[in-house]
Amino acid sequence: MNVNGTAVTGYDAGARLLDVIREHLGLRGTKEGCGVGECGSCTVLLDGEPVCSCLVLAGQAEGREVTTVEGLASCPAGARLREQLVDHQALQCGYCIPGVMVSATAHLSRTEEVTEESVRTAISGNLCRCTGYTKLVSAVLTAASDTGAHS
Amino acid sequence: MTTPDTTHAARTSTPAVPMVGRSVPADDAGAIVSGALSYVTDRRASGMVWAAVHRSVHPHAHLRSVDTSRAVAESGVIAVLTGVDVPNNHLGSDPANGPVLADQVVRQVGEAIALVAAVDEATARRAAALIQVEYEPLPVVSGPVTAPDEVASVSLHPGGNVAGTIGFRSGDVDAALGTAELVVEMDTVTSAQEHVAIETPGGMAEWDLGKVTIWCGSQNPGLHRRLVAHALGLDADDVRLISNPVGGAFGSRNDDPVPVYLALLAWHTRRPVHLHLSREETTVAGPKRHPYRTRVRIAVDGAGMLSAIDSRAIADTGPYVTSGRYVLKTSAEMSVGPYATPNARFDGTVAYSNNANAGAFRGFGVPQVAFGLELAMSRAAERLRLDPAELRRRNLLRAGGRHSLYGHPVGHGFRAVETLDAAAEHPFWREREAWAAGSVGPWRRGTGIALAIKGVGMGSGRGDIARARLIVATDGQINIWAGPNHTGQAIETSYRQVAADVLGLPADRIRVHVGDTELVPESGATAASRSMYAGGAAVERVCAQLRAALDEAGAGRPLQEVAAELVAAGRAEYEAEFPLPDVADPGRIPPEALAEYAPHAVYGCSAQVVRLEVNRLTGEVRLHGVVCAVDAGVAINPGATIGQAEGGVAQGIGFALFEEYRVHEGRPVTTGLENYLVPTAVDTPPIETILVPGYEGTGPFGAKGMSEVVVVPTAPAIAAAIGAATGVWPQHLPVTPERLWTALRAADGVVAA
Repeated sequence: MNVNGTAVTGYDAGARLLDVIREHLGLRGTKEGCGVGECGSCTVLLDGEPVCSCLVLAGQAEGREVTTVEGLASCPAGARLREQLVDHQALQCGYCIPGVMVSATAHLSRTEEVTEESVRTAISGNLCRCTGYTKLVSAVLTAASDTGAHS
Repeated sequence: MTTPDTTHAARTSTPAVPMVGRSVPADDAGAIVSGALSYVTDRRASGMVWAAVHRSVHPHAHLRSVDTSRAVAESGVIAVLTGVDVPNNHLGSDPANGPVLADQVVRQVGEAIALVAAVDEATARRAAALIQVEYEPLPVVSGPVTAPDEVASVSLHPGGNVAGTIGFRSGDVDAALGTAELVVEMDTVTSAQEHVAIETPGGMAEWDLGKVTIWCGSQNPGLHRRLVAHALGLDADDVRLISNPVGGAFGSRNDDPVPVYLALLAWHTRRPVHLHLSREETTVAGPKRHPYRTRVRIAVDGAGMLSAIDSRAIADTGPYVTSGRYVLKTSAEMSVGPYATPNARFDGTVAYSNNANAGAFRGFGVPQVAFGLELAMSRAAERLRLDPAELRRRNLLRAGGRHSLYGHPVGHGFRAVETLDAAAEHPFWREREAWAAGSVGPWRRGTGIALAIKGVGMGSGRGDIARARLIVATDGQINIWAGPNHTGQAIETSYRQVAADVLGLPADRIRVHVGDTELVPESGATAASRSMYAGGAAVERVCAQLRAALDEAGAGRPLQEVAAELVAAGRAEYEAEFPLPDVADPGRIPPEALAEYAPHAVYGCSAQVVRLEVNRLTGEVRLHGVVCAVDAGVAINPGATIGQAEGGVAQGIGFALFEEYRVHEGRPVTTGLENYLVPTAVDTPPIETILVPGYEGTGPFGAKGMSEVVVVPTAPAIAAAIGAATGVWPQHLPVTPERLWTALRAADGVVAA
């Protein structure tokens, strides 16, 4: 598989993709919050689709493109989101934020008409316990308007 | 970060750009969004071993034997520890707080019995599962909240199943109830709420040269250092706890035993140890908000004046007491809400059970008692055909007034009137009739309002102190070590804003460090809405000392020059403390009992309005918006303050509608996030925060704490809105669709099948 554009080998195909990312590759931006696909903290892009990396075996990602939070800066929507999340003070403890970044970047990258409702739905698989989501949603909407995706 | 301007003058009479009152992103925000911030559970070291915990499967049992032989024999296992391996097998000095590792009896499913360290996590967990425990089951105590009619046949502790009581009265409550024109009674049940900090407990520890260093989340690093030292028989000086960055807390990291497990394993193995609890372990074994059963009666006259508030509360602390008595104490004090009444009574009991261990949770005993009181206020207003905001306004405790139960003065920074008005003037409240008129089909619309009060700090007589230390370097760089610690609030950013304005220096000259027992002078807990207030005040004081030294050296001179002189003169280091004020006058509390009731000198409040729809057919609730007015004094960092308010409201929504950790005869029904529901982005409506102008004279730049009180009014405002929409006033939280459907059916005269 490719992770953030770099070919990766030597991992256990039967391990969770999350463990390969965190322990084999040392990319610890991707977090584990529940291990059963409920909290979304471990969200990564698999060929551009957000998935919970705790529910994917590394072998299932073979030959595919994996993007983690660390790899989002290279796409324009990801870079804008970073800036807006900081400027809106949209994060607190930050542990859910890598997952939110991934889900929201995917949403902005492939949605023509971004609305408050569409943003809420897009990040509804990412549990945040600190913020109450209001600032997160505003930050994503602002990033969307900057990328021309906000209706 | 930009390079500091070393030519900046030592001081200016007013800073060019004041920092207090500006919305400043958290210092580590950039690292968070890029995924670069390393949390305590992200830490690794060479030679590190991985740990796992073996936990009880019984809610109450004698341990006949614990056989670790199969785990020890497992390839890759480095250590297996049980209670006999803990030099002092207690979590602190009070046995009612429980052992580190259960060795005679277990009192809860999920209680820790053994620790395993192995070469990798999978081996550690596999070996932990190989430990054989022979149990002799004992009768289960379901406790007075879950099973009010239970007659317990066993005592969980030598003194019986009552962990503590508190009672107080003022005036003649029975006479007032007997003669009132209207008495409204609410009999409420509030459920065990799980914190769900997204980072589950865990971290790393290392043993080196007779000292143990632990990287693990903590809301009270000084307390955890003592717990570790006590359990291991070490000097507190030989224990270092580094407690951030950490992924949320909300009370869950007050009494967390994980730092003790980590230290114990590092001490035994002499190797770096990593432990990260699973969500399932955390859900079952972690602390919860105390479930309460509360009966509140209010007496009101025809003019809408409160003549009495009478509350009786029973709290379930689970198998161990930890903060249970303090939680109950806070319930007692806040049971009269922000209201003035001549007659008040509180009787409270906190009891043991074999349910989930309860502990600190944001709001600390207030959401449980405020729910019934506020619901009763809304219901009384309806019965009297008064605006519920107006009924509250007539009875508000004013700044400088005296507390209805204890009779002490509430402080001049209290802004209940302004806070209530800010919420009531919002279109959500003013236009509530138009909102209700828009109901369509089974979807009935309603609006609710509620108000809450919460003290700031641990309360009088508790010796509550925050401290700060400052060192100025020869190049003019200023480092400040301050507590309380940061668990997601960006508190060090706000401390830096305070420091910059006291010193009249740009904020980038100042670095603030928190959460390290080796460097930060002990400052108490990140709890009780005290961090910004008390920690900020300590920072203000330590900076004032340096400011005086800079002024003495002469205004307008380059900072670098003056700093070098101070260093050369041995005047580079400063320390200050801020003892939180006790009440000016204990009122009706006998002075010798001040700490027993621990009334507060400083209070904040929050008023909230909720707009919602209820499906009369299905019991489903759709929230359309929450307005949160909050009395925070001067907000040092308004963006961060608003973030705290929004997060608090979301937890209040969870408490009201979704969150319930359920047990049946001591056995967990709830096991993880698949059956414990926390609000998602689609469950949570837009939240609008109003920072009410105010000034707390004893706080730094007029600030006071606010992050707890915002959790409190949400549930009663939601329940009142449901009452307005349907005529049914839910008294059992959370108001799940099933509970509401059942209540609606009953109201319609349909007997449940």
